[in-house]
Amino acid sequence: MKKITSVLLASAMLGAALAGCGGNNKAEDTANTDSGAATNTANSGKTADMPKVGVAIYKFDDTFMTGVRNSIDSAAKDIATVDIVDSQNSQPTQNDKVDLFITKKYNGMLINPVDRTAAGVIIEKAKTANIPVVFLNREPLPEDMKKWDKVYYVGAKAEESGTMSGQLIVDYWKAHPEADKNGDGVLQYVMLKGEPGHQDAELRTTYSIQAIEDAGIKVEKLAEDTAMWDRVKGQEKMAAFLGSHGDKIEAVLGNNDDMALGAIEALKAAGYFTGDKYMPVVGVDATAPAVQALQDGTMLGTVLNDANNQGKAAITVATLLAKGETPTKDNVGFDITDNQYVWISYKKITKDNVADAQ
Amino acid sequence: MNVKKAQSFVTQNAIYIVLVLLIMSIAIYEPAFMSVNTLRDIMIQSSTRIIIALGVAFILITAGTDLSAGRVVGFTAVISASMLQIPDYSRRFFPDLPQVWLILPIVLAILAGLICGLINGIIVSKLNVPPFIATLGTMVIVYGVNSLYFDMDPNQSQPIGGLRPDFTNIGSGFIGSGQYSIPYIVIIALVVAAIVWVVFNKTKLGKNMYAIGGNIQAAKVSGIDVSKNLIYIYAIAGSLYGLAGVLEAARTGGATNNYGNMYELDAIAACVVGGVSTTGGIGTVPGVLVGVIIFTLINYGLTFIGISPYYQLIIKGLIIIAAVAFDMRKYSSKK
Repeated sequence: MKKITSVLLASAMLGAALAGCGGNNKAEDTANTDSGAATNTANSGKTADMPKVGVAIYKFDDTFMTGVRNSIDSAAKDIATVDIVDSQNSQPTQNDKVDLFITKKYNGMLINPVDRTAAGVIIEKAKTANIPVVFLNREPLPEDMKKWDKVYYVGAKAEESGTMSGQLIVDYWKAHPEADKNGDGVLQYVMLKGEPGHQDAELRTTYSIQAIEDAGIKVEKLAEDTAMWDRVKGQEKMAAFLGSHGDKIEAVLGNNDDMALGAIEALKAAGYFTGDKYMPVVGVDATAPAVQALQDGTMLGTVLNDANNQGKAAITVATLLAKGETPTKDNVGFDITDNQYVWISYKKITKDNVADAQ
Repeated sequence: MNVKKAQSFVTQNAIYIVLVLLIMSIAIYEPAFMSVNTLRDIMIQSSTRIIIALGVAFILITAGTDLSAGRVVGFTAVISASMLQIPDYSRRFFPDLPQVWLILPIVLAILAGLICGLINGIIVSKLNVPPFIATLGTMVIVYGVNSLYFDMDPNQSQPIGGLRPDFTNIGSGFIGSGQYSIPYIVIIALVVAAIVWVVFNKTKLGKNMYAIGGNIQAAKVSGIDVSKNLIYIYAIAGSLYGLAGVLEAARTGGATNNYGNMYELDAIAACVVGGVSTTGGIGTVPGVLVGVIIFTLINYGLTFIGISPYYQLIIKGLIIIAAVAFDMRKYSSKK
């Protein structure tokens, strides 16, 4: 009896698992078959002469990279056959995927490294197989980039996101004299940091404050703590900051939108955003909930890491290289720096240009 | 009072003493800490954690463990949020979903939690998989299922926002006014705690739970249907995680598939600090409440006085170890 139950249960679970896979996304499926062309059935008529590009994303459930992934998918429609795979946040897995791309004799590769220092190994593999490679979003070390001329990098300058979020505060401070609540001419702020040691967290923290100081405004840090990029933690840390500093706080800077949105919830609970009680809060990423908050008037501004243009530029460069052409400003549509780098700039988003982020 | 009595008083009430010492040392460092607002913040931030920890306590007392708690919280947060967005939000999870009755998505989310718990209970009691392994498996599965749901068109793994005000009001609203108001979420946590207290102390299920955790063989011999009771207990725990997930979404006004990550470890730590024995058979509701509050106090209080997050981690770890070491003394001295 017991045996039957267990067999039944096991098979039910297996069945459920398989059913789940059936509905799974197209890119993963093609990774398991040899017919990479099955990916974009919509344009199967032209697939024969379109170059095949293998795309490895560091992790499928990353919000920003999902945006980039969708952009790659749609930009590739008429120019390349793409096979997008998930590296599951593991460098060894990604290297296996790269080997698979090489075995399948793809014409180009677009890699979003899990670990930027691992790019060297991938470049050597690509060079041996003579398959051009474009790195995306996580910049390989300069000495690795120099190993081969068919290696490109497409991404944003992380410090720029910090600079721009600081500038959003500067713009507000200059336009609203009442923002200096205690009238001492000094901007008292609190900082919600991302994961400690994370490059983006450190750069955004440093450069946002530097941008404010560069604009000639004196600052005083009331508190700084990590909220691990997390909305729940952002809310809890902000509640604690409000508990200890209360109305002394004149601005809130978050390393990302989720933490800034958490802070806004805590501020709402403390009576902000009703009547004339206001607090400038800035984030980075321009996620959909942040856009909503901009429209509601609770968030002052955010910085858009342009997923759309990153994806578009990356797949365009990869396709050109795969066809043996040299990317230039004309055929890519973006400036190319030092023959190997395409820098996609961030955008400041406020209530006024909110449509740019939608 | 002689020395021995004093010693036993200290060991018996160690966690309460730790709690008082913590509050005192933070208050000495920063007197502004002692305020009604601080108390409120700590109560609010403890609320969902209390509900999760009570669910985990059920399972720890049966000498089991539940690693899936956090991921179930994330799953039910996403389920409830996905169906409770304002109609004119630009990126709705279900673009054509009408304004449903508030209670419906909440009940669905709690049901999803209950089903996760039910599956845990069946795997543990019918397939005889050790709870650690069984819930390790479901933890991963639930995250996978949640991620698939979260990645569906047109959402494609974007954070879910724009939640309805009647829903977020559950998380941020309160009864009364000004400083002396009581947030709904705190009331919900206290009601849940009261119900769990009744289940632990006044029902047959509660007595069976302690018996199974104390000595499973003896429980079987004395005629307790162990597997039926275990399935009930896991299902109850699952529905508590479900409720906690709903409240997390309501409180923060959003949800992603990463909500609840590692909450199970926080809950287990809070239970252990609150005197729940990981070997089963021992644990009380007030103990769990104090355990959770100690951790919230560390999070909130140390941020309040501006201590580096790295030190916060070290202090947390030390408290977990010290609490269990104390507990071991307490029970070994009884024997």
